[in-house]
Amino acid sequence: MSLAAEAFVSQIAAAEPWPEKATLYQPLKEDQILLSDSASSLAVQTFLRMCGLPVQVSCCANAEYMSPSGKVPFIHVGNQVVSELGPIVQFIKAKGHSLSDGLDDVQRAEMKAYMELVNNMLLTAELYIQWCDDYTATEISRPRYSSPYSWPLNHILAYQKQWEVRRKMNAIGWSGKNLEQVYEDVSQCCQALSQRLGTQPYFFNKQPTELDALVFGHLFTILTTQLTNDELAEKVKSYTNLLSFCHHSKTSK
Amino acid sequence: MGTVHARSLDPLPMQGPELGVQADDMDLGEPEHEEKQEVLENKDVVVQHVHIDGLGRTKEDILTYEIADVFRAKSLIDVMKKSHEARQRLLRMGIFRHVEVVIDTAEGANALPNGLDVTFEVKELRRMTGSYNTMVGNNEGSMVLGLKLPNVFGRAEKLTFQFSYGTKETSYGLSFFKPQPGHFERNFSINLYKVTGQFPWSSLRETDRGVSTEFSFPIWRTNHTLKWEGVWRELGCLARTASFAVREESGQSLKSSLSHAMVIDTRNSTILPRKGALLKINQELAGYTGGDVSFLREDFEIQLNKTLFWDSVLSTSLWGGMLLPLGDKPSCIADRFYLGGPTSVRGFSMYSIGPQSEGDYLGGEAYWAGGLHLYTPLPFRPGRGGFGDLFRTHFFLNAGNLCNLNYGEGPRAHLSKLAECIRWSYGAGIVLRLGNIARLELNYCIPMGVQSGDRICDGVQFGAGIRFL
Repeated sequence: MSLAAEAFVSQIAAAEPWPEKATLYQPLKEDQILLSDSASSLAVQTFLRMCGLPVQVSCCANAEYMSPSGKVPFIHVGNQVVSELGPIVQFIKAKGHSLSDGLDDVQRAEMKAYMELVNNMLLTAELYIQWCDDYTATEISRPRYSSPYSWPLNHILAYQKQWEVRRKMNAIGWSGKNLEQVYEDVSQCCQALSQRLGTQPYFFNKQPTELDALVFGHLFTILTTQLTNDELAEKVKSYTNLLSFCHHSKTSK
Repeated sequence: MGTVHARSLDPLPMQGPELGVQADDMDLGEPEHEEKQEVLENKDVVVQHVHIDGLGRTKEDILTYEIADVFRAKSLIDVMKKSHEARQRLLRMGIFRHVEVVIDTAEGANALPNGLDVTFEVKELRRMTGSYNTMVGNNEGSMVLGLKLPNVFGRAEKLTFQFSYGTKETSYGLSFFKPQPGHFERNFSINLYKVTGQFPWSSLRETDRGVSTEFSFPIWRTNHTLKWEGVWRELGCLARTASFAVREESGQSLKSSLSHAMVIDTRNSTILPRKGALLKINQELAGYTGGDVSFLREDFEIQLNKTLFWDSVLSTSLWGGMLLPLGDKPSCIADRFYLGGPTSVRGFSMYSIGPQSEGDYLGGEAYWAGGLHLYTPLPFRPGRGGFGDLFRTHFFLNAGNLCNLNYGEGPRAHLSKLAECIRWSYGAGIVLRLGNIARLELNYCIPMGVQSGDRICDGVQFGAGIRFL
């Protein structure tokens, strides 16, 4: 959004309290949603839970097309529609709730850096495994993505999405990588997160922040989603403090 | 217009009269010898040969049907009439640039004394023609590039490609048309198209990619069309400020439908008819041949015209329709009916009547609309006989309603729902006829019965289109 639009939205958003009927939209949970979208959705749900804001989860087959930016999840709050974790955090902040108020500038910069790491490494790796690995794409991603549609639209949409993701991988230079290298990247990302976490309950000691929500969303989804093989989950499991972080975040609140 | 040349039957050495005849006028012209004219009229003739000269790629077997009737002529006048009709039939197939008829005495070994030879001199259309037009549709303008291949395989098949770039829509289409040899009214066509449209009254953007096949055939005095259509529809929000109800409709869907249309048209003209009536009934069943959407849709159009005293015409029309979603999914915004605007209930903004959400009109599942018009020539008839004849003043009364029905209730409840909250309007204006296809209107309208949520356009309203209430 442009600066002027952002300022305008914040003004409007700040004026209204959090409504009872805020809704979060994501693709169908049983049949359609894929790993990357499920991770993003869980991250947003966790963040809202940490802020103490109630939200209903609504599953729609066309959630991706309903979203203003084309990405899920998005929330419908009063008259506003906001998609993706970054803008949602901004939006919540304008309403007066924030998890990262207690951080000083250095820590905030660090938090942003780690969030970028998760988005650039972990999320991209998830997309790669889903759409660029032929076996996974054929067995899991394409059938799931196109399940709400009838023939021949299901094939058209599935292939369209696959080409779109592959073009994006080309643009960021990931098309030259093979699966092993991607698993290595995931491992390195987990290592960085593990080191930052150490033995603390949360990344920034006492209080959970949006980084915790994001990391929990991705790691928990990786651990609990059945892919064609378990290698991705294994990479995460090899860092025990991340495992206990997930367990701890799941059971708290 | 064409000319029919007929030479005298009498082999006397004097010059037979050259009789040039206009197609609409059966008068034999100025005969030099009166006795010869009578002889020609009463004399029995036999048409021995009918030739068609100038064929290139056209196959002869389709033409034999059109000219067969000429052989049955019994007198010279009959020959001229039947060959004129055959000429019209050859022209309407759309494969000849022009057709000329020459009637001559029969020649050759087996020529009878009263035998005639009829020759059709034809010039075929070029293999490929291109065209560039600008078009005015229902309140939009567009630039159209066309490529036409008439008579592709020799039996009046036609292949057309069209690309249209407009203020609201961009589209392209490929179409193949084939008539049945001998019965031109029975034909089928296959179309492939992509159409994009923007609908600001609903903040909706729609892109359709589809394929359709249709069969047309006449039964007695009606014309029927059976069509199967498969469309991939993409709906999206036109602006970020679209209402959430429209946002919920965004997405992809596939519609596969069978439809049947029946038309009876006895009007003397499509635009500003002076007499005759029109009845159009259309039904569409979607979902039983595949696809995501499932519904049954009916709509009809009736128009009656009658000329009154002093060159004025009274015209009444009635439109109506109903959409019944089958299955448990609600109807899609792209399938519903819309009402209002300069081409339907005048005095209201374009498609701005009925259910709406935050300013976006969602359409309705049932509607009706009626109009009563009195068309008169312009006062004091300026430009009479020329340009002034294209204009008409009209006084109108329009009414209509659009709503969603609760299908659990009975027909009485439906009728009462359609009868409450009727929007209507009256006014007067000037109508300009554009060829035989479109018309422009400039009206002063007074809308009444406005419900909360409708957007009106009272005062002066301009409309352009091909189909008006």
